[in-house]
Amino acid sequence: MNRSLVILLGALALGATIFAGAFYASQRATIACCAKPADDLDWLRTEFHLSDVAMAHIRKLQAGYLPQCAELCAKIAAKKGELETVLGTGTNLTTEAQTKLNEIAALRAQCQAQMLRHFIAVSQAMPPEQGERYLAEMKQLTLGNEELMEQSMSDHAGHEHGTH
Amino acid sequence: MKEKLNQSPDPQVGALLRAARVSPALPPRFQQNVWRRIEDTESPAPPASWLDAFAALILRPRFAVMAAAVLLLAGISAGTLEGRQAARRDAQMNYLAAVVPHALR
Repeated sequence: MNRSLVILLGALALGATIFAGAFYASQRATIACCAKPADDLDWLRTEFHLSDVAMAHIRKLQAGYLPQCAELCAKIAAKKGELETVLGTGTNLTTEAQTKLNEIAALRAQCQAQMLRHFIAVSQAMPPEQGERYLAEMKQLTLGNEELMEQSMSDHAGHEHGTH
Repeated sequence: MKEKLNQSPDPQVGALLRAARVSPALPPRFQQNVWRRIEDTESPAPPASWLDAFAALILRPRFAVMAAAVLLLAGISAGTLEGRQAARRDAQMNYLAAVVPHALR
């Protein structure tokens, strides 16, 4: 093989190794030093530059919210159990099963509303600008996924109707 | 012998001898050609292709060190940026796991 080509390929391989090694090592080091939050709320403090006073307020809100959330989650889990019992091994969707589905949907909506109320309360504990940013991000992270799923389902359904 | 003739006591003979000395004429562009030949011997042979030229450039120690330093810095910068983003995502996921109920995930 041509000597110059060998030199060029060797230099490329060496360069790629240097870049990849530096990239991997610094990425690991950064993750190791920064990705171990002290608690679940650590992200709020760093991302929204919150003071200790604001963090204390948010911790109180969080402590009040979690038991309510757990209570609703338990209710939803219980209703799901009931639904499975009603569905049993049958092949038809009975009225009772439909009622259970509606109840689960209502509980989920209640749970979602409670979560959004919590997000609003947390955003109000922050400086206005940061609060708006937090609320927008939370809406996008928690409701965005559902909208995306609904959008994809409606797109899919529309496509199917169009082909029939 | 020559010196003796030059130092001849007779000034007329001495003048005749000096006039009789022949200095050959230089060929055209003699000086230019001399410099060109000196330059040719000092500079290395030009590379045959762009690949050879590039290989020669790579092998220069200054270029190699500079390229390695640039790649190292670029790798560190990109890795740090990516690491920060990954750390931010992890922390965000921790928070979401704490506040978003399982029933809604």
